Amino acid sequence: MADHHGHDHDHDRTVKPMVDEITDFEVLEIALRELCIEKGIFTAEEHRRFTEFAEQIGPAPAARLVARAWLDPGFKALAIAEPLTASREVGVDWLEPTGFGTPSDFTAFQILVDTPTVHHVIVCALCSCYPRPILGNSPEWYRTPNYRRRLVRYPRQVLSEFGLYLPEDIEVRVQDSNQKNRFMVMPMRPDGTDDWTEDQLTEIVTRDCLIGVALPRVGVTANVVVDTRPAMHPSGE
Amino acid sequence: MMTADTHVVALHEIVARNQVWPRMAAKYGVENPVPPWKTSLDGLCDALDHAACGAGVPTFQDRRDEEDVLAATVYSELPYPESQLVALAHSLLSRGIISEGELVQRLSVIRARLEG
Repeated sequence: MADHHGHDHDHDRTVKPMVDEITDFEVLEIALRELCIEKGIFTAEEHRRFTEFAEQIGPAPAARLVARAWLDPGFKALAIAEPLTASREVGVDWLEPTGFGTPSDFTAFQILVDTPTVHHVIVCALCSCYPRPILGNSPEWYRTPNYRRRLVRYPRQVLSEFGLYLPEDIEVRVQDSNQKNRFMVMPMRPDGTDDWTEDQLTEIVTRDCLIGVALPRVGVTANVVVDTRPAMHPSGE
Repeated sequence: MMTADTHVVALHEIVARNQVWPRMAAKYGVENPVPPWKTSLDGLCDALDHAACGAGVPTFQDRRDEEDVLAATVYSELPYPESQLVALAHSLLSRGIISEGELVQRLSVIRARLEG
């Protein structure tokens, strides 16, 4: 047989590093899944489809929806009046997000439009319901009791922890989600974006802006990173 | 019935071995912020929610509440999403959906398979 490794490139430099040991957590995830399937709680096919859904979702459709609404008043009106129709125009079908059913008993979706005097922010105080089909998986901090309980009582304080300080004359409305009702925020278009294209605008509508813990800003395309727990396992330990 | 206070030996052994993603990633120079099994865990949780109407399967809210308690107490040493995974295992064990004996046996079988 020919030696296929007689060529002159270095695999160490072309392959990204990988964790080269089998962890207990990897084994545990497989074990739970296999046992649930064997007990008939769900099928392997259902698990595969839901995993594919989890892999492909993200905040890009919601960001595009907001950018398009900023540019097109007709689309903005559609997004407010018929959010499911507007979602379909950015590629999200709320009624069949996975292609074979919904991961929850979702029934309604609403877009909360910020104004110069009203700022919205979403939460799920009871559990961690989140508009996953259009915004992807929720960040870790969204799931914490800290965010869920305190945002409702002390919204300005919690927003300040994300670096968002709103003037007193702007009303903060906290919208509580649940398994049937999901929400996202349509923030105000920032100054300095007059000649921008839809693609340019989409880049500054971050996940945090769509939750309401940040405002879109020129030059800011990343989410705020919030430490939700102390570093238990510092690198190199 | 098993509660949040229940000591599950199999799960505590996993916690003690401490193969958490931040350590593994640092050890091997991997940059992914979450472990590769995370999306499969998401799929598992969604499949459970889909099935939650029967068989004593915990609902989304049950899992959320139990994860909150367990992640703050019994498994407070674990980072996320390891805490989510182990709390889910604890919830399934506490309801008798899975027995500790069959979990231990399955962990052994899977590890042998992956290392084979």
